[in-house]
Amino acid sequence: MHDNVHMGYDLQPDADRAAMLDAIGVATVEDLFSAIPKAIRLDRELALPGPLSEWALEREFRQRAARNATTRTHLSFLGGGAYDHYIPAAVDAIANRGEFLTAYTPYQPEMSQGLLQVLHDFQKLMSKVLGLPAVNCSVYDGATAMAEMAWMACVIRNKRTVAVARSILPDYRAVLDTYLAGRGVAIVDVASDPSSGTIDPNALELALSAGDCAALIVQSPNRFGVLESLGELCAAAHRHDALANVSVNPLLAGIARTAGAAGADIVCAEAQPLGIPLNAGGPYLGAVATRSEYRGFLPGRIVGEVMDLKGEPALALVHEEREQHVSRDRATSHICSNQALLALRVVLHLSLLGEQGLRRVATLNATKAHAFVDALCTLPGVSRAHIGPYFNESLLRLPCNAVAVLKALENEGIFGGIDGGRLDPSLGDCVLVAVTEMHSKQDMDRAKSAYARAIANALETEAA
Amino acid sequence: MTKTQSIYSLHRAGVSGTGIVDPDFPIDALNTAAWMPEGEARLGDLGLPEVSEIDVIRHFTRQSHESHGVDTGSYPLGSCTMKYNPKRNDRMAQLDGFRYAHPLQPPATLQGLWDTFADLQDALAEITGMDAFTLQPAAGAHGEFTGLLTIQRYFADRGEDRRTILIPDSAHGTNPASAAMVGFQCRLIPTTSRGLLDMETFRSLLGPDTAGLMLTNPSTLGLFEEQIEEIAAAVHDAGALLYYDGANLNALMGIVRPGDMGFDVIHVNTHKTLSTPHGGGGPGSGPCGVKSFLAPYLPAPHIRRDAAGKAFPDWDAPHSVGKVKSFYGHVEVLLRAWAYIRTLGGSGLRYATETAVLNANYLKARLADLLPPLFEQHCMHECLLSGGSLSVDAADFVKRLIDFGIHPPTLVGAGCVHFGPDYRTAMLIEPTETESKAALDLMIDSFRKVANEAAVAPFMIETAPHTTPVAKIVKDESAWLSVLETSDGSVS
Repeated sequence: MHDNVHMGYDLQPDADRAAMLDAIGVATVEDLFSAIPKAIRLDRELALPGPLSEWALEREFRQRAARNATTRTHLSFLGGGAYDHYIPAAVDAIANRGEFLTAYTPYQPEMSQGLLQVLHDFQKLMSKVLGLPAVNCSVYDGATAMAEMAWMACVIRNKRTVAVARSILPDYRAVLDTYLAGRGVAIVDVASDPSSGTIDPNALELALSAGDCAALIVQSPNRFGVLESLGELCAAAHRHDALANVSVNPLLAGIARTAGAAGADIVCAEAQPLGIPLNAGGPYLGAVATRSEYRGFLPGRIVGEVMDLKGEPALALVHEEREQHVSRDRATSHICSNQALLALRVVLHLSLLGEQGLRRVATLNATKAHAFVDALCTLPGVSRAHIGPYFNESLLRLPCNAVAVLKALENEGIFGGIDGGRLDPSLGDCVLVAVTEMHSKQDMDRAKSAYARAIANALETEAA
Repeated sequence: MTKTQSIYSLHRAGVSGTGIVDPDFPIDALNTAAWMPEGEARLGDLGLPEVSEIDVIRHFTRQSHESHGVDTGSYPLGSCTMKYNPKRNDRMAQLDGFRYAHPLQPPATLQGLWDTFADLQDALAEITGMDAFTLQPAAGAHGEFTGLLTIQRYFADRGEDRRTILIPDSAHGTNPASAAMVGFQCRLIPTTSRGLLDMETFRSLLGPDTAGLMLTNPSTLGLFEEQIEEIAAAVHDAGALLYYDGANLNALMGIVRPGDMGFDVIHVNTHKTLSTPHGGGGPGSGPCGVKSFLAPYLPAPHIRRDAAGKAFPDWDAPHSVGKVKSFYGHVEVLLRAWAYIRTLGGSGLRYATETAVLNANYLKARLADLLPPLFEQHCMHECLLSGGSLSVDAADFVKRLIDFGIHPPTLVGAGCVHFGPDYRTAMLIEPTETESKAALDLMIDSFRKVANEAAVAPFMIETAPHTTPVAKIVKDESAWLSVLETSDGSVS
């Protein structure tokens, strides 16, 4: 007997359980666990808070959710690798369908053609956005995608050094360090020009000519929001026989040429800006694309066209010889679960946007960001920290410490941006401000006056 | 052209599924091009399709009909644990207070997140008998990677040069793949005819170079590793550490805990044990737990409680292996796991485990005459049955189940587990605890119908499935051709 009726999981009446035990030939369920030595068994109930009805559960969750501020309770200019873009209701309507939500990896292609088609279209759409033909079905996030891409280059070139721009997002660098440490891959740093915010060409030449680098790894926009001249960087990498590995914000493809078109050999992206909610940091989606000759080095699942028994085309997971369940310790990666449901969201988002929509939303992001940055730069002592070009995010130098200003803005219900000290200890007087299509003129006016007040107060406090 | 259509098939230039407009900010393409680095503005088209909202909705609704999920029907895919994903968990995970929270907000504005993380960490520690958890890993394999990194860092700190990880031959492919990513060498241990670890080979491979043994318990053969105490003692006597692959933890909740079996490091697959949906391949979540001596090595930040019990992210973690992904973990997935634990409580989790084991043994008993079990002893949450006495190939047999609305069980090389050659005709069946007796009986009936049909009309089996939009798939290596898309901007 078990009093679990209120939990909603009770689907076997006692009579059924008795019949099942009878069929097995044991007296109690306990007998089924006889292989487990007594000495190590738990001799008490798990000490967890008691079971909850659905309404009590919801009440508790709502209370917790209410203890978080969000980009809906506050006016937010936070970015730094996660952006508050609008997600059409149509994306959620499909992504929440149980057929997709509760499916496993499509190991049985005959009963998974719909899911496989979605993933195949993901590869196709991302190949357009990233500008390279071979795309996988996703890895965990943009940072792990960069790490996977680095290892790909090391294997392709059979070298164990990579040149990495110091201006990649801090989390990306941290993850790259973690992933490469055990595999004996050395990282050569490439510094940025402090004035432009883009990679310093002299530092680049030095790094590439000094080391025997498998790849040059850069990010655009970089951690300062500055856009790199990808064509030049890729050409420099190729001059030194290194692969050009580029991490991009896929939304930028609405107005900029793709990284592939700029000459990159491997491109990775954090696809969160394409229909994935902020979710306090995850789950997001890392995409990896490469040239056809390097396709066999891709990590993770790949969907391709195959044949059925009648000779008709069909879709299935293909080239599994790269993967962990076939090649084990020689696999290109350990990835098994990926971000399929988020890939569906990206497919939906890009399908709804379409060619013109992506161009328009990217244009609107850039337009609004430039308007807001220009407006803030009319405040006394505020200026862009770099002169390099930017998309929808930029680092602004303030005439005072950033932390005090951001705190004052928060008190007015505004997340004003990211403290520059997070990006580099020397940037404590800077804030990284991100703008998306969702910010209205009124939002910007409000934030500008709040910034003016906060800066004035901070200066007063610093003077006192 | 496949039977299901690409979204490109609905492309019609000039159509839009969403209106992107703000009267205060006229869209000016020329201006925007000037903001790009020299030569980096895009001139031509990308080649994205243009589709209306209603066409998008109808198209993907149709695609969903051609996808099998737990919501659609039985999914006894052994070792993958396709149990029901309670709808209430989805609602909790998508509350605005989490969905719209930005990871880089000031930490004090995310108190609900930290409190939930801390509570979930504590609950996982209680369920598994470990001391500390990180929720950062993105999936089970990522949890393995994280756990192995802590082992590596621990030995590095002690100045011990240990480079080998021992892995049973029945382990998930992710075990050796993760070990290789961390930089370990892998040595395989064979399985005995009783389905257990070969102790003699294990002892002979164990040595001063051994960093650890990765063990799945119950194993991927559905059996509890009875010699676990002896194994743990041997590993620790050799100065090595014991790693628990939590893929099958759903068989043990409230019964026995990995920490009490002697494991030092563990990962939990939230979709297998804690009912989070698998999403057609992900996102997963792979919390990694350790005994206290390894806690300093967990990824930063560590989510701790202050003296007043308030949780916060602590970046002061000098011994940490670093970060394994951006930000803090798969929050949306972890919230579902917490909702599951909260709903069931300690007694409910044990009941779930008991039901999973009951269901698997019931299937095993009822199918024994048709598909004899490979091992005599009681199975845990899944059973390994032999298709050797069927009159058709096991791989063909299971395809016919699709026509009965049942997802085929796991076969050799069918994806998530690795079987040795001895199990060529074996099927790993995991009904899970959320199938009723009636559903199991229906499943058993379907197996029998297929077996009967195999005897009289093998052709029907060999050419199955017959009710799907495509016939049985024949994989071939020309598949790369369609993976590759031209990037010349044409809409194909």
